[in-house]
Amino acid sequence: MDRFNSPQRSRGLAPPNPRTALQPSDIALQVLGLNLYYGATQALHDVNLDIPRQRATAFIGPSGCGKSTLLRAFNRMNELVDGCRVDGQVNLEGQNIYARGHDVAELRRRVGMVFQKPNPFPKTVYENVVYGLRIQGVNKKRALDEAVEWALRGAALWDEVKDRLHESALGLSGGQQQRLVIARTIAVQPEVLLLDEPCSALDPISTLKVEELIYELKSKYTIVIVTHNMQQAARVSDYTAFMHLGKLVEFGDTDRLFTNPAKKHTEDYITGRYG
Amino acid sequence: MKNQSIKGWIKSGAPGVWLSAGAVSIAVIMTVGLLLLIAVRGLGYFWPADVLQASYQVPGSPAQTLVGEVVAREQVPRARLRATSTAVPADGPLTMTRELLKVGNRDVYGSDFVWVVADWLADVQAPADLLVLQRREWGNFYGRLLDIREHGQVVAQGADAWAELAPRLERVRHLRRALDRLEAQELSAINRGLENARLQARKLQLSGRFDAAAQADLGAEQSALNARYDEAEARLEALRAQIDRDSLTAVEAGGQAVPISLGQVAHAYRPNAMGPLAKAGFYCTQLWEFLSSGPRAANTEGGVFPAIFGTVMLTLIMAVIVTPFGVLAAVYLREYARQGWVTRLIRVAVNNLAGVPSIVYGVFGLGFFVYVLGGSLDRLLFPEALPAPTLGTPGLLWASLTLALLAVPVVIVATEEGLARIPRSLREGSLALGATRAETLFKVVLPMASPAMMTGMILAIARAAGEVAPLMLVGVVKMAPSLPVDGHFPYVHLDQKIMHLGFHIYDVGFQSPNVEAARPLVYATALLLVLVIVLLNLAAVALRNHLREKYKALDS
Amino acid sequence: MIDKHSLNHHISQQYNAELEEVRSHLLAMGGLVEKQVNDAVTALIEADSGLAQQVREIDDDINQMERSIDEECLRILARRQPAASDLRLIISISKSVIDLERIGDEATKIARRAIQLCEEGESPRGYVEVRHIGGQVRAMVRDALDAFARFDADLALSVAQYDKTIDREYKSALRELVTFMMEDPRSISRVLSVIWVLRSLERIGDHARNIAELVIYLVQGTDVRHLGLERMRQEVQRGTDRANVSPAADDK
Repeated sequence: MDRFNSPQRSRGLAPPNPRTALQPSDIALQVLGLNLYYGATQALHDVNLDIPRQRATAFIGPSGCGKSTLLRAFNRMNELVDGCRVDGQVNLEGQNIYARGHDVAELRRRVGMVFQKPNPFPKTVYENVVYGLRIQGVNKKRALDEAVEWALRGAALWDEVKDRLHESALGLSGGQQQRLVIARTIAVQPEVLLLDEPCSALDPISTLKVEELIYELKSKYTIVIVTHNMQQAARVSDYTAFMHLGKLVEFGDTDRLFTNPAKKHTEDYITGRYG
Repeated sequence: MKNQSIKGWIKSGAPGVWLSAGAVSIAVIMTVGLLLLIAVRGLGYFWPADVLQASYQVPGSPAQTLVGEVVAREQVPRARLRATSTAVPADGPLTMTRELLKVGNRDVYGSDFVWVVADWLADVQAPADLLVLQRREWGNFYGRLLDIREHGQVVAQGADAWAELAPRLERVRHLRRALDRLEAQELSAINRGLENARLQARKLQLSGRFDAAAQADLGAEQSALNARYDEAEARLEALRAQIDRDSLTAVEAGGQAVPISLGQVAHAYRPNAMGPLAKAGFYCTQLWEFLSSGPRAANTEGGVFPAIFGTVMLTLIMAVIVTPFGVLAAVYLREYARQGWVTRLIRVAVNNLAGVPSIVYGVFGLGFFVYVLGGSLDRLLFPEALPAPTLGTPGLLWASLTLALLAVPVVIVATEEGLARIPRSLREGSLALGATRAETLFKVVLPMASPAMMTGMILAIARAAGEVAPLMLVGVVKMAPSLPVDGHFPYVHLDQKIMHLGFHIYDVGFQSPNVEAARPLVYATALLLVLVIVLLNLAAVALRNHLREKYKALDS
Repeated sequence: MIDKHSLNHHISQQYNAELEEVRSHLLAMGGLVEKQVNDAVTALIEADSGLAQQVREIDDDINQMERSIDEECLRILARRQPAASDLRLIISISKSVIDLERIGDEATKIARRAIQLCEEGESPRGYVEVRHIGGQVRAMVRDALDAFARFDADLALSVAQYDKTIDREYKSALRELVTFMMEDPRSISRVLSVIWVLRSLERIGDHARNIAELVIYLVQGTDVRHLGLERMRQEVQRGTDRANVSPAADDK
């Protein structure tokens, strides 16, 4: 039955069987009973979700459904918003990141994030990539040089920018900037990469390049991507979660979700119906 | 039909465009006009105008010879002239031309200027041998050179005298420079030494350790200094005598011979004999002197260098104080403070602070900085100098602080604006890489907000540099004995009083004994003040643009 | 789950129209094919060579329809990138079209045999088997198309199940005809023609079964090909159960 593996499968490890539950050892992020409030409004309702390690997981859903909020709950970015309150657990490799005394800076190093719009710092390409390393106190030139090349190669950007490492990053194109941001993020060697609509500000070709990059990266990192573009979710992810009104409606193997979703609601959303 | 076309015209928005364009043009014309006015009036002052000689006969009185420059000309109704002078005939054209002649020779005539009726001037000519002397006292002298004397003995006469004058003036200039140096360096050093010795004695007295040995030490030091002082004084006297060695005699228009010591002469020139090139050269010298030398004759003549220096110094120190202070305040308000009614209140207060009349700041500066702060510091740090205040008196530091206080709201508002404009995504990008808030602030936010801070500084400079009123209370004087920066430790004397272009204008224009003669100087100084402020602003703008280019943010 | 109404609930009205159009084109093609089968069998039984000729001519139209429906499917795939039930619908349509076209081909073959038999004379044994099996196959095609039209998995399941019966009857008819040929060698040529006709009918039954399987895939999202009837039945059962339960689950 699985003789004709989809191409993304053949690159990665053995295909996950959607019908069997994930082994605990395959879970990178485990969300348990997560409720999140912005002031008086509840943005997430009792979300339970296991995000598998070294796979790409996509969050889809209509605007305001809480998918970005959920993503930002994974590196506690929500805390920057006044009046944000969280209850429930998010376990990163078995440890609750919301436990008292958990080091947020360290968490954010381990869980990197790429945003909707490319947001390189107004510095040189080189300084952008080493930003996180400098924060960690790495200052040896050799180490930084190596990290820059490694990260830029990892983000498939090295060949395009190797001759202008010391020019402003703002001179790059949008797609290059976004890949630079990804390079900047992987330079600190995170375990999880959170991508918050990483291609929504890019043209189709740049989008494809970033998608290709996500493909490559998921052999090393656990990737969680929020996207409005369902085709994109279908293209890059192994698992897809559909959210609506702050609730997780359906989570499952991307192939199944996009050909035969279990919930009518999911079906209506991905086929473009009003339900 | 017509009604409709007017309606259509109004609807098209054209009147609005015309109205706004008109407002802009009026503003531009007014600004340019103002600048042109002060530029023409101020810069014309330095041009060596031709000196006229004419015979002036008021009907019914004997003719007299007048020598001078025409500085103004106006049409006056005959009736008004008749009211002042019975000599004016009743019939003739309705208006008459009246000219204002600068005849100089205040020591002889009692006044520099004289109004003449143009019709009564006859035989107007510009003889080449007419001499203008710019003197250190009594203003200009207009007349003819008679002879040059050394120790009262005539050494050159007539045509030779003019040739003899230049080298001797040069010699005097040299001597004067030596004299100035002696006064500024040696004498002031000795004075400072004496003052220090006195203060040290007082200090020891206060601490109760003023024993015989110390007394003897200080006594010896004092007498050594006194000896040096006497010696310097003697040299000074000798120099003065040297300077006064030569003198010249000149005749004024009326034929009266006037002896003038060369030490009194700043410049001597014969404008009628000068070609345009020579005049231009002379003009430049005059202009340079205006910019580079100190004032003389109660500020009504000479240069404004101390005032320029004081203005720039004051503004720079103000900027150095206000920028970090305002930036820190803005950073706290925007980045750290909990946004609530307290911060809102503070913002309102800050904004209102910008609207407080500046003289109120002056009063505050005097009351708080000078008396309270300065007074306390004096008691703490310089008890030996009391009751003479050291810091407890208006001075550069307090003036700068007062201006800083005046300008700090501008910096706060501008910086806050800049901080608010930095895209959230950049902060998030930094935080998401594991940076703390402080790291994000210092590595990303502040560098990016630096153009806004510079904008704040520019606005602060613009606001503060033109301010005069509060400065009169907290440290600006009409005549400061020395510059606030010199070669003596600690090199920058923040406790000194300074001169300021704005105050200089006020002083020259309204407080000087000879307002009429000094008026061109007011214009020149005003122009200079504008230029200095423009220059300071341009420097800051250039700096800001450089930073802006460097930290050109993402589009949003 | 998919039902008839879900087709026109897209936010894009244009999309609704396109899906509805391609589906109705398929059903129209199905109707025509069904008529072809009917006509071919009738022509054979009643030795109506005119009707048989007409069947052969109409086959061109069917080929044309196949091409145009395929084109529509392709266009929708390229431009709408359908997902889930829409995707299954388009895939099912574009596959069913192939089966329908084959059914059309088989009908043409039958018509050709009918003309041949008209010329050679009636089969000595009559057309009992043809009449019998032909009727059943026609019903299968009709039911398969009905199932498609109504998104009826149960009906589709019964069509698939019925294919087994056809196979069985085809085999027994074959045995009888072979026996007959051995008894009467002179009739071999004509009886062979009948056998070819039966074979065509059996093939039509297979294609109808394919269509029925596609309907099940379309409705329930499970691929039931090559599963065996029992598994197929279970899948359909499970799908129906889920359909009955899930609205309640959604409401919760």
